[in-house]
Amino acid sequence: MNCGNYQSQFNDYLDGDLSLREREELQHHLKECLPCYRKWSSLQKTQDILHQLPAFDPPEHLSAVVMARLKNRRLHRPPWFSANLPRWLPLGVGATLLFLISVGLWQVMPSQYPWQSLFPSSRKNGATTTRPAEPPKDNFTIRRGEPDSSAPVMVLRVKDFSRADQELQSMLRSFTRPPLPERESSRSPHSRSARLIQLQVSGQRLPHLLRELHKIGHLDQSQVERQTLANPGQQKQISIRIVVVSNGSDVEIHQLREGR
Amino acid sequence: MGTESLAEHSSSAKRQEEQLLVDRCRRGDKESFAQLMRLHEKQIYNFTYRMLGSEGEAEDLTQDIFIAAFRGIRSFRGEAKFSTWLYRIALNQARNRIKYLSRRNFFARQRKRADYRVNTVSESPEGLPDSAPTPEQWTMTKDLATQVQECLNHIPPQARQILVLRDIQGFSYDELSAMLSLKPGTVKSRLHRARAAMRECLIEKLK
Repeated sequence: MNCGNYQSQFNDYLDGDLSLREREELQHHLKECLPCYRKWSSLQKTQDILHQLPAFDPPEHLSAVVMARLKNRRLHRPPWFSANLPRWLPLGVGATLLFLISVGLWQVMPSQYPWQSLFPSSRKNGATTTRPAEPPKDNFTIRRGEPDSSAPVMVLRVKDFSRADQELQSMLRSFTRPPLPERESSRSPHSRSARLIQLQVSGQRLPHLLRELHKIGHLDQSQVERQTLANPGQQKQISIRIVVVSNGSDVEIHQLREGR
Repeated sequence: MGTESLAEHSSSAKRQEEQLLVDRCRRGDKESFAQLMRLHEKQIYNFTYRMLGSEGEAEDLTQDIFIAAFRGIRSFRGEAKFSTWLYRIALNQARNRIKYLSRRNFFARQRKRADYRVNTVSESPEGLPDSAPTPEQWTMTKDLATQVQECLNHIPPQARQILVLRDIQGFSYDELSAMLSLKPGTVKSRLHRARAAMRECLIEKLK
């Protein structure tokens, strides 16, 4: 055996894993070979030093701190959770759910971009700016019409008319006589007026209109969404029939009806 | 009863007691967890100290390890020893912490401080380097212990963990194999490389 072979036995020698014969051979070699002896000696000493390193006592407050931290936490993971679950599992489940939801939305949403129906303020190109660009002026038109008594009712609680798009504001005002004040709170609680107006709006512009209506006040738009979802194919032109009834606090807007 | 069987009996009793505490912990008994923690905190604290080389960081990491252990104790089924299971958590947490600290140059800053100390202290008043002790003359002093820790910080974390567990904390190859989920042969070869790296670093430091 050469020096390399003997040196490869050093660790087994340190761990006491050599047979008696191997041990004797190695010891004999170490007596005759100075480079091997030096290497062995430094390795042995290194291990001795590591063995002799002092052990420290942990800080006295350690367990108290841990117990205090545990008090402020949810104690256990849920019972179905196991440490043996693969790490990728949550990610995989999340990705699959996201995919399924996306496909589902794609199927049921009438608009080209499904999120437009969910988030009226989202833009077609998906860009996120704090102030969306103003839509073209021919966005929607208003004409008089008759209320559809079978139509469901949406309620808009007016807070501030002046926050809406200028054009919508003036159009809404022009169809309500006497003109609605800028702030509903300034109206007399006893005054009452009812007006019917009808908006025609292109389907893709609906989010903008809804956003503007939201600016006026709180709008329950679930009816709009239901109606839009129910008619995914007819989205090019939508008529909105609005009855403005004001008793000092509420303005009611009648349903959206699909245009022909 | 022989000494061996006495030791076996004591070890088995200890394991049973530990299992009892673990069962109580699984039902949310924090007092039992506090007892378990007292049994293992010194070992874990010393492990984290040797892995990170800083008392403050070691304390933080030890806290995180025990909190992770309490949160995950329901997954401990008693197939391995509790200490093996606890060390698996400790190893994972230590790896993550080392990555986190490395990104923030924690170890580089530590080395810089150590180099500065060596450069300013290791020369004799006449400006001549001290005569380096041979390995036979290495004795455990505070300074040597510091330099050993610096060498531990210097070698790769994978080598460091195996060296700490085997040569400092004295775990067997089987225990290491269970903790690291490695075959005993792999553990052995990694340990050999780690010892060689440590030896070279010490020789370099103590020149």
